[in-house]
Amino acid sequence: MALLNVNHLKVYYPVRGGFFRRVIDHVRAVDDVSFSLNQGETYGLVGESGCGKTTTGRTIIGLIRATAGEVLFEGTDLTKLNRRQFHAYRKDIQMIFQDPYSSLNPRKRVLDIVAEPLRNFEKLSPQEERKKVQYVLERVGLSAESIYKYPHEFSGGQRQRIGIARALTLNPKLIIADEPVSALDVSVQAQVLNFMKDIQQEYGLTYLFISHDLGIIRHMCDRIGIMYRGRLVEEGTSEDIFTNPQHIYTKRLLSAIPNADPRDRSKQAALRREVEEEYAQAYSHYFDENGRAYPLKPISPTHSVAIP
Amino acid sequence: MKLEANGPTAVGTNVEKSPSPLSIMWRELVHDRLALGSLIVLTIILLIVYGASLFLDQEEIVKVDFLAIHSPPSAEHWLGTDYGGRDVFGQLIIGARNSFTIGLAITLITGVIGLIVGLVAGYFGGWVDNIIMRIIDFILVLPFLMLVIVFVAIVPKYNVLTFILIMSAFLWTGKARLIRAKTLAERELDYVSASKTLGTPDWKIILFQILPNLSSIIIVNLTLNLAGNIGIESGLTYLGFGLPESTPSLGTLVSYATNPDVLQNKWWVWLPASLLILVMMLCINFIGQALKRAADARQRLS
Amino acid sequence: MLKFILRRILIMIPQLFLLSVLIFLLAKAMPGDALTGQLAANPKMDPQTLEEMKEKLGLNDPVHIQYIRWVKNMLHGDLGLSYTHQQPVTDLLAGRVGNTVLLSAAILILTYLIAIPLGIVSGRWTDTWADKLIVGYSYIGYATPLFIFALIMLFIFGFHLGWFPTGGSVDIQVEEGTLAYYLSKLNHLMLPALSGALINTVVTIQYLRSEIIDTKVKDFVKTARAKGVPERHIYWRHILRNSFLPIAAFLGYEITGLIGGSVFLESIYSYPGLGQLFLQSIMQRDYSVVTALVMISGVATLVGTLLSDIILSAVDPRIRIE
Repeated sequence: MALLNVNHLKVYYPVRGGFFRRVIDHVRAVDDVSFSLNQGETYGLVGESGCGKTTTGRTIIGLIRATAGEVLFEGTDLTKLNRRQFHAYRKDIQMIFQDPYSSLNPRKRVLDIVAEPLRNFEKLSPQEERKKVQYVLERVGLSAESIYKYPHEFSGGQRQRIGIARALTLNPKLIIADEPVSALDVSVQAQVLNFMKDIQQEYGLTYLFISHDLGIIRHMCDRIGIMYRGRLVEEGTSEDIFTNPQHIYTKRLLSAIPNADPRDRSKQAALRREVEEEYAQAYSHYFDENGRAYPLKPISPTHSVAIP
Repeated sequence: MKLEANGPTAVGTNVEKSPSPLSIMWRELVHDRLALGSLIVLTIILLIVYGASLFLDQEEIVKVDFLAIHSPPSAEHWLGTDYGGRDVFGQLIIGARNSFTIGLAITLITGVIGLIVGLVAGYFGGWVDNIIMRIIDFILVLPFLMLVIVFVAIVPKYNVLTFILIMSAFLWTGKARLIRAKTLAERELDYVSASKTLGTPDWKIILFQILPNLSSIIIVNLTLNLAGNIGIESGLTYLGFGLPESTPSLGTLVSYATNPDVLQNKWWVWLPASLLILVMMLCINFIGQALKRAADARQRLS
Repeated sequence: MLKFILRRILIMIPQLFLLSVLIFLLAKAMPGDALTGQLAANPKMDPQTLEEMKEKLGLNDPVHIQYIRWVKNMLHGDLGLSYTHQQPVTDLLAGRVGNTVLLSAAILILTYLIAIPLGIVSGRWTDTWADKLIVGYSYIGYATPLFIFALIMLFIFGFHLGWFPTGGSVDIQVEEGTLAYYLSKLNHLMLPALSGALINTVVTIQYLRSEIIDTKVKDFVKTARAKGVPERHIYWRHILRNSFLPIAAFLGYEITGLIGGSVFLESIYSYPGLGQLFLQSIMQRDYSVVTALVMISGVATLVGTLLSDIILSAVDPRIRIE
């Protein structure tokens, strides 16, 4: 059985208008999305900004309330739980945030930041707590002395490690990583990503990896879901998506990946033009009359595409 | 891959230790000559006022002495006497103590109410916020001064406590609105989301995560409010609708100036109290302005 | 825009209702009702007549009926009877309202006459001695309570130097309608208005100063300067025009302050306006006058805020969203 099943998840926001501010329409941030995560794998959720990938991640962890659908974690529907019942699952699902600056409270020492989950779930003596925090910090490559420092004394990459350490203290099963490196310098990105892969091996973690950067996704993920306007348009293994894209939107995304080799520039440009032409022609083929993507249809055991 | 964190020395030993907001405020205060001077003057005034009021016998001061009505300043009565022959200097000390203490009490009470209401409204949002904001909007458009006067006039068994409560009932709203706006902004930051995903209960997030980030704004606001409240209290007492007669305030001394003869010819009765109010409010305001600059990094002097 | 105005007015209706309920309840809580005045005039009234009178005045009706009657009367301009003056409250107020409006208008005009030049000088030539002087004045003005300042002004310019009259709104000897009458009125107005204005300017000065400082480093100003637009035009066309409308819009919010200020100023300068009437009435326990005055100030504040909100939303559409 999969670790996490997301079934027909919907997150709608009301649009109010008119004189009495009645609900006249909905913004469909997440519109009937289903996917599943297996133990130990990395599932990538890709799409342009505003496509609903972050909303999906935040709904799974309970920061946003689902409008409909279910989030089954080891068979339990998290959306049906009240706050107290949810508390038991907090330990198992953790999140790494995009912005390493705003996600660490500037008024707290590293010790307090990393120990926050411990204080909520485990009754440890101050010494035990400090030991555990120091252990985790060393695991993420920070010195044990840093526990008495404040977040602004660290670089962006180090801060993100503190965020990861905080997520790791409770030994979670699933980590939702919401653009974990997009706020970092490119030179630091690879370090953090490789480090995330290391700890995945070590702790047997499952990642839901949210990103707009296909290069990173390819580097990190076993399976990939492409999101567009709140819906999944294509899902498959990394191999499926990168070598055999089926949906026009996926093709368009892939053609936009910059190519480092200048000799291929004209080839790349030609490819882009071709995809652009196909996009213009075949758009109506891939989207219904309301501009929504069709439901996913399997085309191979691992590969599904949203086609009529 | 451990390029940036190899060993204990690499991390942050050369980074300067971050100053806490309180120490930033203190540094700004000391660097601002005007604010530092104000702090010293205010401290001296308060030491004299609270120190002297320990030794002064209030009964003795408010005792009427018809042999010494409106006598000008002399060795016996440093600032002369009022229409009842009572020592003005003694009343000044007692009045300043009462005015400051009551101003402080109102500031603290409204501060606590404003803080709780603002944090709750800003953090939870939704209908709670909606209702609270409607109430605040309503109180803010009421004719404050007139309503306080009416309340003071019709409350039975009127005393210092009722005065403080009446004032507080109106004055918490501005603070609540400020704190709400700041909480609303703070709530959107990811460290709050992080705390939620870490299983921290809401009340702990409010008190231990958000509140520390609001501390400088709160301190600035309370300081400036303290000055304002002393002004409002003495003003109302001047009109005759502030502190009851059993608790003389600086406004009580100023109110003797409603008699044109006192205003024109017996300056020692009302002028010292007026100047003392002015000096205290100026000092507190200068301190508050310096703290405000400290809270806003762009304007710091030091 | 129209939708915003309608919605904004809609918000005012419950506020108006709550205000009237609050004041009605306060009026009920005040010792004395419509009967007390009659009783004072005729203390030997027997209990039966008293009861009849009560019935006639509707004092035995349920509270909500009394409230509705009170609101109805008010809407018809009937604010009750003043016991001390033995005349309708409406007439009493009519005799006084002119003075208060005059004083408030004078304060506002003086405020803008002083604040706008000072604000511009201070914002345009920051960190000059003139700016430092103006900022110093605004700090002191911000900290000074109005009543202390007004008293000291009266002491110095009224009593000590004798430049201005120390009380009243007009000399008694002068005949109404003559030039001397208006000059005397103006003469009596100057000191209270100036006291109010000098304290009142502070907010406008500080607003204008920081607005100019913020705007003059904006890109559109730099572009204008780079294009060679003369400095004078940059200030008039690009910077000040943006700052003036909000200042004008704040007028409505100032009504609260003006009402509070008039209570102090009229009391200190024995200026016969509504503020002084309010204090006198409350000391003489003439509660129908008190109730009427609080209600009028409340409505004035509500309408002022409404107007300011609407003007500001016209200037800055972002405000309209909520």
